[in-house]
Amino acid sequence: MMSRILLQAIVTVIALTLSYALAADTRTLPEDPLNSVMWDNLAGRFFPGEVVIDQRVKVVGPHDAEDQMQVPITVDATALDNVVEIVALADLNPIPHILTLHPTRAQAFIGFRVKLEQASPIRVGVKTSDGVWHVNGIYVTAAGGGCTAPALAHGIDNWYQTLGETRALFRRETENSARLSMRMRHPMDTGLAPGIPVFYMNTVEVTSPAGDELARVELFEPISENPTLTLKPLVEDKLDELLVYARDTEANEFNFTLPVTETIKN
Amino acid sequence: MRDTSNPLSARKSVLTSAVSSVTPLGQLLRNVSDNLPHNYSRRRALQLLMGSACTCCASVHANQLAYDLDVTEIARGTWAIHGRTEYFTLQNGGNIVNVSFIEVPDGVVVIDTGPSRRYGEALLHLIEKTVPGKPILRVYNTHHHPDHIFGNQVFERGSLAAPQQVIDNIIAEADGFSDNLYRLIGDWMRGTTVVAPGVALESDFEEVGGRKFSLFYLSGHTSSDLAIRDDETGVLFTGDLAFYNRAPTTPSADIDGWLESLKTLASLDRELILPGHGLRDERGGSLEQTADYINWLEESLSEAASLGFTMNEAMAQPIPDRFTSLDEVQTEYERSVVHLYLGLEDNLLPAVTVD
Ligand SMILES: [Zn+2]
Repeated sequence: MMSRILLQAIVTVIALTLSYALAADTRTLPEDPLNSVMWDNLAGRFFPGEVVIDQRVKVVGPHDAEDQMQVPITVDATALDNVVEIVALADLNPIPHILTLHPTRAQAFIGFRVKLEQASPIRVGVKTSDGVWHVNGIYVTAAGGGCTAPALAHGIDNWYQTLGETRALFRRETENSARLSMRMRHPMDTGLAPGIPVFYMNTVEVTSPAGDELARVELFEPISENPTLTLKPLVEDKLDELLVYARDTEANEFNFTLPVTETIKN
Repeated sequence: MRDTSNPLSARKSVLTSAVSSVTPLGQLLRNVSDNLPHNYSRRRALQLLMGSACTCCASVHANQLAYDLDVTEIARGTWAIHGRTEYFTLQNGGNIVNVSFIEVPDGVVVIDTGPSRRYGEALLHLIEKTVPGKPILRVYNTHHHPDHIFGNQVFERGSLAAPQQVIDNIIAEADGFSDNLYRLIGDWMRGTTVVAPGVALESDFEEVGGRKFSLFYLSGHTSSDLAIRDDETGVLFTGDLAFYNRAPTTPSADIDGWLESLKTLASLDRELILPGHGLRDERGGSLEQTADYINWLEESLSEAASLGFTMNEAMAQPIPDRFTSLDEVQTEYERSVVHLYLGLEDNLLPAVTVD
């Protein structure tokens, strides 16, 4: 346990040093509207290239986390064209990286829930095809201990049997866009709770029956227990179902098919 | 069930143990950490002290926090302290709840004890001023939420009574509530510790000091909610099963059970209702309003969850006109989304077969 933490620390220090070295002399970062001590560091690690602060990236979340284990965040960058990647970070979490969305054939939109270790900026970088990172964020206040507390599942004896149990919905909202909401049973262990090794869902891929990728999400430790994602894949008239593939850090794989429901409601 | 100890002496000892006016920091730390739940470290206690706003003017602020409790005689020999219809803040110190006391032939009965030890002390002063020299025979806790129980420690443990499930809930959850309250109201909480009632109630009524009280074992606002009727005056104390012109709170709620309990309360003979939050209610409007609101909550959130909306989208839904005048409604609505949404998604999103 100690040696792993030590190793992690060393790796982090090396990564930080490298990213500082890379970031420091090649560009000037815009001032951080959230005034975070982590801004230079995180921008160096996650947003290489040109960075602009952009209000068109809408990050919606509560001012105060009512439940720091399940802080709901919705990102809507549909006001930007040609989005290739969305990266969400919690600056002050021990592990800041929450997720990365590749909206291959999907709207630049994602809903998720995050564990917060303490009050923190929630920062989102949206990369457009010209390589520019459009960054915006909010500040969420919280009590302590969201990442180092064990998942609720560990209070239940047979939690492993329900691993991967899924509830999901794929509903057409407009002519060419549908909403995918999915909730899967998974403890999403960060490895930071005493005696519980790291174990989390790290990949969700959404594809058409023909095998075209619509969206791909890389998930990380801060995602809340029983990960719940909302995506908006683009759907043509003839698309009547989609396939979802998910995998966790123990290489458990989960596959399911969802028919599109034809209710248009906004 | 009668308490044979001497509450008067207990009252006195508590009053004289109040923090003295000039206290060195080390002593403050000791006071705080000694009185904190066991999972608090000395360092945490220091953070608490330093974290409580305005350390530069600590010489005045630390000792001048005082609850301004406003007492109203709502029925003969029955006094209510109407708390503000707000959420916990550093300004109100958690004086946001209705606490009451009743003069019975041989003593005093208290219903709920407020958000902190300091509040409990102010309550004792007020009782002594209002009903001088009478012993406190019984103190009921209507449920385990922090604004209703954190004054418990100033009373004799043998006089404190609640249903067993309320006692169990206090033991299981009060430490967590306490952490959160230190964050929300800071120094007002100083010296507050969790005290669970020593008496588990199970009978349908109690005779206390020559007065009969009917006890109703309900649930829904939490897993155990006690309502109490003074059978002499007909005042029905609902705890947080009823709110009036203040948005109901749902951190431990089961909406269907709550609606059932409100039906039961509506069917009872009574002269007056004292809700857990908000003004006294002569006509039962608090029961109707609470039922209307929590029913809307469940219906609108069920619809949002079954359409796959995110919690943030659900929070942005408009609140119907008839509820917009309820105090704290926007904040409480958003909190309720967090409390209720996961359970609704678990039921309402369709189950899919996974390979
Ligand atoms: Zn309550």
